[in-house]
Amino acid sequence: MANQNIRNFSIIAHIDHGKSTIADRLIERTGTLTKREMEDQVLDSMDIERERGITIKSQTVRLHYKASDGEEYELNLIDTPGHVDFTYEVSRSLAACEGALLVVDAAQGVEAQTLANVYMALENDLEIIPVINKIDLPSADPERVKKEIEDVIGLDTSNAIECSAKTGQGIDEILEAIVTDIPAPEGDAAAPLRALIFDSYFDSYKGVIAHIRVKEGRIKKGQRLKMMATGKVFEVTDVGCFRPQPVDLGTLAAGEVGFVAGSLKDVRDVRVGDTITTAEKGAAAPLPGYRGVNPMVYCGLYPVESSDYDNLKDALEKLQLNDAALVFEPETSVALGFGFRCGFLGLLHMDVVQERLEREYHLKLITTAPTVIYHVYKTDGTMLKVSNPSELPPPTEIEHIEEPYVKATVIVPSDYVGAVMEISQDKRGEFKGMDYLDTNRVMITYHIPLNEIIFDYFDRLKSATRGYASLDYELADYKESKLVKVDILLNGDPVDALSTIVHKDRAASRGRQLAAKLKEIIPQQMFEIPIQAAIGSKVIARENVRARRKDVLAKCYGGDISRKRKLLEKQKEGKKRMKAVGSVEVPQEAFMAILKID
Amino acid sequence: MCAAAEERAAGARRWGLYVHLPFCRQKCFYCDFPSYAGQAGRMAAYVEALLGELAREGAPLRAAWGPPRTVYLGGGTPTALPPALMERLLAGLRDFLAADGGPRAEAARQDVSAVRAAAAAGQAAAPGARGGAASSDRARDAAASAALEFTCECNPGTVDAAYLSLLRAGGVNRLSFGVQTFDDALLRRIGRIHTAAEACVAVRQARAAGFRNLSLDLMYGLPGQTRAGLEASVRQALALAPQHISIYGLQVEEGTAFARAQAAGRLALPSDEESEAMYDYMTTALPAAGYARYEISNFARPGFESRHNLGYWQDVPYLGVGASAHSYLDGQRYENPRGIEEYLAALRESGRARREEEPLTRATSMEEFAFLALRTARGIDRARFAARFGCELASVYADAIARMCARGFLEEDAQGVRLTPLGMKYGNWVFEAFLLDE
Repeated sequence: MANQNIRNFSIIAHIDHGKSTIADRLIERTGTLTKREMEDQVLDSMDIERERGITIKSQTVRLHYKASDGEEYELNLIDTPGHVDFTYEVSRSLAACEGALLVVDAAQGVEAQTLANVYMALENDLEIIPVINKIDLPSADPERVKKEIEDVIGLDTSNAIECSAKTGQGIDEILEAIVTDIPAPEGDAAAPLRALIFDSYFDSYKGVIAHIRVKEGRIKKGQRLKMMATGKVFEVTDVGCFRPQPVDLGTLAAGEVGFVAGSLKDVRDVRVGDTITTAEKGAAAPLPGYRGVNPMVYCGLYPVESSDYDNLKDALEKLQLNDAALVFEPETSVALGFGFRCGFLGLLHMDVVQERLEREYHLKLITTAPTVIYHVYKTDGTMLKVSNPSELPPPTEIEHIEEPYVKATVIVPSDYVGAVMEISQDKRGEFKGMDYLDTNRVMITYHIPLNEIIFDYFDRLKSATRGYASLDYELADYKESKLVKVDILLNGDPVDALSTIVHKDRAASRGRQLAAKLKEIIPQQMFEIPIQAAIGSKVIARENVRARRKDVLAKCYGGDISRKRKLLEKQKEGKKRMKAVGSVEVPQEAFMAILKID
Repeated sequence: MCAAAEERAAGARRWGLYVHLPFCRQKCFYCDFPSYAGQAGRMAAYVEALLGELAREGAPLRAAWGPPRTVYLGGGTPTALPPALMERLLAGLRDFLAADGGPRAEAARQDVSAVRAAAAAGQAAAPGARGGAASSDRARDAAASAALEFTCECNPGTVDAAYLSLLRAGGVNRLSFGVQTFDDALLRRIGRIHTAAEACVAVRQARAAGFRNLSLDLMYGLPGQTRAGLEASVRQALALAPQHISIYGLQVEEGTAFARAQAAGRLALPSDEESEAMYDYMTTALPAAGYARYEISNFARPGFESRHNLGYWQDVPYLGVGASAHSYLDGQRYENPRGIEEYLAALRESGRARREEEPLTRATSMEEFAFLALRTARGIDRARFAARFGCELASVYADAIARMCARGFLEEDAQGVRLTPLGMKYGNWVFEAFLLDE
């Protein structure tokens, strides 16, 4: 197909504004899938995505559309995640497109991640088509939302489309606008091959499959290709597009989006952001790649059964194949044994990885509380990056510590400004600015320690604003803070996996809260268990889990047996995630207790 | 053993019959059993329906295995039935026990006539000295270990001398009195309809009616109960010289009056330490008084263990009739509808009430076999386990046994494994270890 009949586009939106539903309608309307084949949110193929109603991985699908000008068009849709944790997925997808649909909820208006996504699209020089979704809602106010888009983002909304993905209204207009407003891809099919890898995944039959955008030249089956960064040479066995299942086409040319597979067994050979060219007479220079993504949040992952260590390692390696942002390295805990310190983009990312490890790889895991990376400047003049509180050097060796701050953007109705400011101050935030988006919506900017964000900032924000607040954040810089390590001792023994780094002024109250929370979480055992919180050798809080005096069902006769067995099963289930730390059985929740105190 | 030889020869098999009577004068505050107050108008229809169910479900069992070795009337309050209806029920049960057609029908007929003769004799005899009664009890029971054990649960507030004689004459030879405590204020607080004095009278009247096998139920851990109060109740129970005592710790079950009170913060239960002190007291005082602890909550003079209840813990089949009754036959568990109306309707519509519970897998059968047997002093018998499952106990549970022995919860020898006194205290932890991963 000629390039002028190809359009490559993404859909960007704040979470829950209806991005995946619009994608479904486009797929349905163009007949890519029949009604019978349609499942809601076809592009969210992971169970976790369907259950949580979120998109985690970018997906691509090729649509064939006959436009009103009588021409047949090939529309390559690249669906993107909406959550702040997965921003990097969005940025990669955008590099493969010429345009984007900016979906905004007609009732909610512009939200924090709408802004973040738009700025990314503009950085990539994309043509943006504003789409006002959910106009069927009684509370929809498309005119207000358009004005907001013009005022806040500075985007012309004269070409904005009002639609309802639910009723199907406006879908035809969207398809037409994609054809008329988004530029056709440029690129010479006769030039040496340059194809950008914007994603990859591992298929147990075909090996690594790379999602690509061919910028110049052509890929054919049987061709010998080369990864420009890794130097890996391979022969193409499959090349084609997604509809949304992979379809082998035998060739892809400049301007097209699709996939390529070959003799690629090692996921490390395929780097997202790398350029593919031909093995002989290849391109002289690669395409500009991506900025690498750096994990913001770290936690320890340990198998409940230590014999599962190798399985956990394999599983992490497999997940890393299609999750470039996941990093991990082995670590050892006195309390938990052998495991891995893993880095994530945020808490949702961490949650999703943990859940996938458990579901897809049937592992039982203990997760330690998430921490950020601290820069510890030592008295000997060196700097140490600490992502595990137990690795913090003794206070005498520390000159000072710096912690990461983020620039947090919060959008709320003006009634809640006070609440947002109160919470942000409480979280050690520094006020940076406030802008009225319209008469009653406000954008507030703070610099806040990331440590406080992962603690419970967004939860508190949501509850204090009745769910109206939207949040986006990006790493700002590192700043010096007075930080100390709070250790927890169970039965007199320090438990490294329970240590936490907190601001000096809060250490005492955090220590007390943490000890009290652990008292609730740790089940009674045959003996009394003292819980102590300490800074260095100074004990700052003390609690006791009282001994369980007895635990036996008094009665069990003919009518009770099945019920009692079920009770025992439940009891056993509750203990599955317990880890014996010394002589104390500690449940998984205990390691997350720091996140649960209020 | 000659009983075993007889079983092999005639196809006879030990099994139990449970009869549920879901009627109560008043619901106790801790009770989550299927029982209903204010249902007197339904009793007659219920008894007839239940006898119909027994005829239908019991006949094939009796034909294959002979009559049941134990019968247990439970509730609710069986003695809430008016005398005429109780008589009708007992007559129906006697007919079932004595009917022709089973391998041991003849023996059963003899059992029943022996029981009736004994009943007649008992009524005539004055309540004798304790020692004498006990030794004659023991002799009789030893002689007739295969004979019928026929228990009826009694609420002391519902029976008088005539009613007790009626039970005895009708074939009942063991009574279980729900005394709970001898503290009147406490009795009122837990919703019982009787007083301590009435309980003492009922026990004396039962003796007078010829009963030689009596059990008393007591409770500990009741709201407002003290260790001294429990000790007093245990002493009073011992003074009545029953053959058997059950002591149950209060469990606040969902849906009970106590659960509601607890949710409202109005239930002051003894502390864990006090409750433990009560437990420790009764588990030492009763054995010291000659009542061996043969199961976690059950104590008996030698030879007076409840054979019916032992059946539940020893994998013996049982048929339950009546609303909410459970059955366990050929390794499958069944359950009748809980409500009286639902039960009657099921019988009207299909003639049957029982529904299969989820089938037991080999693993769940093993689990139940293990945790039920562990409730008893005898524990899991290696030979019985091997005979039931065709494999050695150790081949399935070696790891669990080793772990629990190491913690001092279990002891093992060539015969089997059983809970230590410490293990009895933490029974749930041991039972849990015997659940298998699937």
